[in-house]
Amino acid sequence: MTHTTCSHSAADIAVSVRDLRVTLGGQAILRGVNLHLHRGQLVALIGPNGSGKTTLLRAIVGLQKPDSGDVRIFGESDLKKALPRVGYVPQRLALDRSFILSVREFLALRLRETQHWFWHRKRDTDDRLRAAMAELGAESLLDRPIAALSGGQLQRVLIVFALLKNPDLLLLDEPTAGVDSPGEESFYDLIGEVHRKHKLTVVLVSHDLSMVYRHASWVYALNGVVCCEGSPEHVMNADSLKEAYGLNVTPYQHHGHSHGPGGGIVQ
Amino acid sequence: MNIFSDIEPFMLRAFAVAVVMGPLCALLGVFVTARRMAFFSDTIAHGALAGIALGFLLGFEDPTWPMVLFSLLVAAAILWLKEHTDLLTDTIMALLLSGSVAFGIIVLSMLKNKRGELHRYLFGDILSVGPDDVWLAVVLCAAIGAWLFTKLSPLALLTASEDLAHVCGVRTRWLNYAFVLVLTVVVSLSIRLLGIILVTSLVVIPPAAARNLARNLRQQIILSLIIGLFGGAAGTVASYHWDIPCGPAIVMACIAVFIVSLVASKLWLNKPAST
Repeated sequence: MTHTTCSHSAADIAVSVRDLRVTLGGQAILRGVNLHLHRGQLVALIGPNGSGKTTLLRAIVGLQKPDSGDVRIFGESDLKKALPRVGYVPQRLALDRSFILSVREFLALRLRETQHWFWHRKRDTDDRLRAAMAELGAESLLDRPIAALSGGQLQRVLIVFALLKNPDLLLLDEPTAGVDSPGEESFYDLIGEVHRKHKLTVVLVSHDLSMVYRHASWVYALNGVVCCEGSPEHVMNADSLKEAYGLNVTPYQHHGHSHGPGGGIVQ
Repeated sequence: MNIFSDIEPFMLRAFAVAVVMGPLCALLGVFVTARRMAFFSDTIAHGALAGIALGFLLGFEDPTWPMVLFSLLVAAAILWLKEHTDLLTDTIMALLLSGSVAFGIIVLSMLKNKRGELHRYLFGDILSVGPDDVWLAVVLCAAIGAWLFTKLSPLALLTASEDLAHVCGVRTRWLNYAFVLVLTVVVSLSIRLLGIILVTSLVVIPPAAARNLARNLRQQIILSLIIGLFGGAAGTVASYHWDIPCGPAIVMACIAVFIVSLVASKLWLNKPAST
C-alpha cells in the first residue's frame, strides 16, 4: 500500500470512513475501506469498473447500507444532521418522458417551496433559481422539461440543484457519464470553478485520469479497498495505478497533462 | 324550477361520488403514470374482486371493507414479493391479478344468490352507490387531497429520483408505502362507480390528456384535476340520460378529452413529442 500522509486535525476532516464493508448480491464490493477526506479539497475517486467507487459514494450519503463500518460527515455520524450540508449529484436520473417536471419546478423542490410554487410563484425564489442557473451558464433551460434535457444539460441542472442550499460537501458520481467527449473537458473546468468559488469540499468519481491530473488535489485509487492515495502526481505513477486497476497502465504526457490508455479513459 | 327535483337520489349520489373521486384519481394518476404504476393500480383493482367474494362468503351485506382490505393485501404482497424474490414486477402483478380474479369468480359462482353481483362489480353500477358511500368519498377526498397537497414537493422529488429525495431528507420508504396505501384505498373505493375492469382508466387517462397540453408539472396537475372532474361529471350524467353503464360512460368522456388534447397539442400548440 502506498501512502502519502498529511497531518490534519479532526476538525479539518470533511468525511471519514472507517473499515467500511458492503456486500451486494453476495459479492464483497467494499472490503474495509478507510479514508479521511480533508476540507476544501477536490478529491477524486478512481478505479476500474466494479471497484466500488459509486457504492462508496452511496454509502457515504446513506443510499447503501453497509454491512459494517463507520461513516462520519463533518464529524457527525447521524446522517439526518449531516445531509443538509451535503449536495449529491447521482450518475443519472431515470426520468420518464411522461413526467413533465420543468427545470424551474425541479430546482424549487430543493428549496422545499413546492406549496408556494404550486399556488403562486414567489419572486425571490425565482430570482434565486435564475442566479444559480446563470452561474453554470444554464439560465435558458429554466422552463424546459427536465426529462428532455441532454446529458450535459441535465448534469448542469443537477449540480445547480446540489448547490442550492449552499452545501459544504459536494459529491459527484461520474459527472461526465452522459456528456459527449468534447464537452467533458469544459465540464471538469466548470466543476473546478465551482470548487474554488464556493470553497467547498468536492468528491468526484471519475474514470478520466487526465481530469484527475489537472483538477484534483487528492486522489484515492479504489479497488474494493483503498489501493493508494496521495497527490495526483504521486498516484498517477505506474506502480500505484497498476495496483488499483490490476492491469498495466502507462500514463503518458500529452498536451501538458497525463493520460492513461484509450485517450485518458480507463475502463 | 329546481333542476334537481326530477333527478333521482341514486343519480345524485353517483354524481357526488364521481365529481369527488374523479379529480382525486386524476391527481394521484399524475404520479402513478410518471412512476409507471398503472399496471400496479390495475392489479390492486382486480385484487378487490377476491375481497368482494370473500366479503359475501363471510356474510357481509356490503363488501366495501373486505374489498379495501383485500386490495391492501394484494398491494402488500406485490411489495413483499418484489423485495424478497428475483421475480420481475410485471410477473408478480400478473400472477396476483389473475389469481385474485380466478378466486373471486369461483367463490361468487358458488354463492348462488350473488351471481348477479359479478357484473355490477366488474363494470360498475351507479345504483349500488349508497348514502354511506357518498360520505366516505367526501371524507376520503378531503383527507387524501389535503395529504397529497402537503406532500407534493417530496412526492415530485421521489418521482424524479428516489436517491435525490433521500439525500434531500425525504423519508422515501415511508412515502412510498403511504403512496401505495392511498392509491389502493382510492382505487378500490372507485370500483363501485367504474367497475374493476375500468377503474384504472380514471387514474391513467386524465393525466395522459393533461400531459398532452401541459408544459410543466403544475399545469399537468391542474389540467388533470379538471379533466378528472369533467370525466366523472359528464360520464354519470350521460349514464343517467342514455341509460348506459356508468363506468364506460366516464371512461368514454375522459377518452374524448384525451383525443381533443392530442389533436390540440399536434395542431395548435406545435409541441414536438420530444419536449
